[in-house]
Amino acid sequence: MVACVLIPGFELRAALRARPSLALRPAALAPAEPLIGSVTAAADAQGVKPGMRMGEALATCPELVLVEQDPSAAEQAWEEILRRLEDAGFEVDSGDLGCVYFETRGVERLYGGAEAALERALAAVGSAWDPRAGAAGRRFAALAAANVARPGQVLIVADERTREFLAPLPLALLPLAGERRRELEELGVRNVGELAGLPGGAVSERLGPDGRRAWSLARGRDRGRVRGRRAPAELIETLEFPEAIGNELTLRRALAVLVERLLGRAELGERFLRKVALSATLVGGGSWRRQLTLREPFAEADRLRVALGPKLAEIPGPLLKLKLEALELTESTGQQLMLVRPEGDELQGMLRDGLRQVKASTGEGGVCTVVEVAPWSRIPEQRALLVARDE
Amino acid sequence: MRRVNVEGGKEGAHGGTLGSPVSSRAGRLNSPRPVQVEPDLDGTPRRVNRRPVALVREEWRVVDRWWTEEPVQRRYFDVVLEGGERAVVYRDEKTSGWFSQRGV
Repeated sequence: MVACVLIPGFELRAALRARPSLALRPAALAPAEPLIGSVTAAADAQGVKPGMRMGEALATCPELVLVEQDPSAAEQAWEEILRRLEDAGFEVDSGDLGCVYFETRGVERLYGGAEAALERALAAVGSAWDPRAGAAGRRFAALAAANVARPGQVLIVADERTREFLAPLPLALLPLAGERRRELEELGVRNVGELAGLPGGAVSERLGPDGRRAWSLARGRDRGRVRGRRAPAELIETLEFPEAIGNELTLRRALAVLVERLLGRAELGERFLRKVALSATLVGGGSWRRQLTLREPFAEADRLRVALGPKLAEIPGPLLKLKLEALELTESTGQQLMLVRPEGDELQGMLRDGLRQVKASTGEGGVCTVVEVAPWSRIPEQRALLVARDE
Repeated sequence: MRRVNVEGGKEGAHGGTLGSPVSSRAGRLNSPRPVQVEPDLDGTPRRVNRRPVALVREEWRVVDRWWTEEPVQRRYFDVVLEGGERAVVYRDEKTSGWFSQRGV
């Protein structure tokens, strides 16, 4: 079975660890966009919902406190949770922050059944996080079960009941853009079961590939596999500044120093970097963090500087500390071929990472899409255009 | 329908087809590139970028957009160079310039 442990509003909970007094007051995660993030139970009770516009939220609850995002602290807290789960014997596959999957097959005999294993997982996470667990034959159904479960509860869905279980659940559970979801609701489709009842071809035609995928998930056809993560590398280099810095030249020099130090670490041996993270502690609290999966593993300072350089421009304000982490390393200098070809989301993710990498090294306009404009034309250069990709 | 502005308005000089507004967001695929061609008396290429032509596989004309201010009049040659490489070149009948082109 696939199990999912879920901690709703994880980023807000992580940010509130530094200010525990706010946990019982109406508070919300400050928005990166005009919409607010997760909210506390007290805020929810006063009518403030995640995804509300900030003005609307403040009008609904004038005493609402906005909590600064702290992605670095959230990442650290999440890593601690994953390690506790791994110590308890679970081979974790981390989704977004606050959502982790694992296969129960290997641990059922250890703990005396799937339910006992999930209870052990909840205990490993810790009751302070209000985790909930779900298990089912497929990944999406496990996520849905965890969403439905109450804090500290385990909900197991039998294979033959998966469709029946999914049917009454809201469309919000499906990985669909808000616009697509609204389109479905306007068509009178209000829950997962109603979507599953539609013909697949019509869904594809109306909503495109995303809609088709949501339809497959709604019918319990989920090909997502659970793969245990690689052990984290634990190579970290940090630079603390005596005063706040914000100019790009200084940041680039600081990055160059961090890159040199990281690649000079003896623990790296002859291994290459596969995934790195750059994070900053901002002036006045809060933090910033970006992860980067390298298209091709390498251990060259110049390439790493080129790959990470554009990220510096995204730091939202002056900072006091800059940190570079090696998150994943290759096993050796050799290239590892894949035994099972990636597909679906995994393949799309790899493609997106590859395109990001090309854009980072070649600059804007480095990645283009071919758009056919007049394929019938007798003049070859009139048939298609190369258009720079924004995403 | 998606509308995209195209860069390279000057290509009209040799392509004779591009009068679209200019933008840095898009470029044409398979744009013609100037090439050095030594023609025979009958106008068929004898050398392309100083490399002898072994065979002229095909020849055709494209006359298009004659109703516009940038008409296209091209004489295309599909040639095989010594060494086996294939190339498609054309002579712009308006400017008498030679260009190579992919995607033909």
